[in-house]
Amino acid sequence: MAKAFRRSGRGADRRFVATLDADEREVVASLMDQVHDLLEPPGHPSTGDDAFDDLVAGLDLTGGDEPPAPVDEGPRDPALDRLLPSAHREDDAAAAEFRRLTEGGLRHRKARALAASAAVLRADADKVALDEGQARSFLTALTDVRLVLGERLDLRTDEDLELLERAATSLDDDEPLVHVIALYDFLTWLQETLAGALLRG
Amino acid sequence: MSLAPVTEEVVAPEGDVAPDTPWVTIVWNDPVNLMSYVTYVLQQHFGYGRARAEKLMMQVHTEGRAVVSNGPREAMEADTEALHGYGLWATFQKDS
Repeated sequence: MAKAFRRSGRGADRRFVATLDADEREVVASLMDQVHDLLEPPGHPSTGDDAFDDLVAGLDLTGGDEPPAPVDEGPRDPALDRLLPSAHREDDAAAAEFRRLTEGGLRHRKARALAASAAVLRADADKVALDEGQARSFLTALTDVRLVLGERLDLRTDEDLELLERAATSLDDDEPLVHVIALYDFLTWLQETLAGALLRG
Repeated sequence: MSLAPVTEEVVAPEGDVAPDTPWVTIVWNDPVNLMSYVTYVLQQHFGYGRARAEKLMMQVHTEGRAVVSNGPREAMEADTEALHGYGLWATFQKDS
């Protein structure tokens, strides 16, 4: 049974500690993997040097007005528009320019936080103890997973989750929708406890 | 009865947006991000105190949007990029 994140220790020894069993850790880690791969599809070149990769990801290497080739061929997954939303509501050209300049770097930074957080969860210990930097990455990684699940669940307004949960009470427990809602609620709870523990500082 | 002249109170103009900083960053409400998390991000990125961060968060929650910063365009684009990094639904625009 999972135990919420709480603060432990002081100063440099401060940790944010939760208890998650092996199944819970693997479920969260594999969701983080999936969102990671959505942002940086496998096969995407990386030098392994994060500072360098960030720099390259923010550059327009085509040098002209041509938009960079999309990392992912085919129609854009709507979940990506939640992870990387339009930055301007009225000016499409400004939004496109912003996307050209920022999308590569944002994808890379999010992917890095997701990969680091999944790695912590796979450390093979029920006690998940994060230092402050890890906790901040973990919090953002949980956000990105919840944004994608929220898109899959078609959450558009603050009332949608409650409506969906009410509708799901008439479904069998083995329906995929029931499972996804339970996962989403679990991640919400986990994130709420970590945000609360970080806010106290 | 006083014969002192009636003094008019000087009313400060609404808002504190300087004329040379006509761009704003807006955070929009979304059904996924938690109230505690939005407060955390506003404190973390802008260095706002708890009270100011919570007030802005509540404005996003109840009014659907809030202006979270103002300044030159480049600074608003940087704020928007950082907030996207945190997963918030942020946009920048010229203040109207």
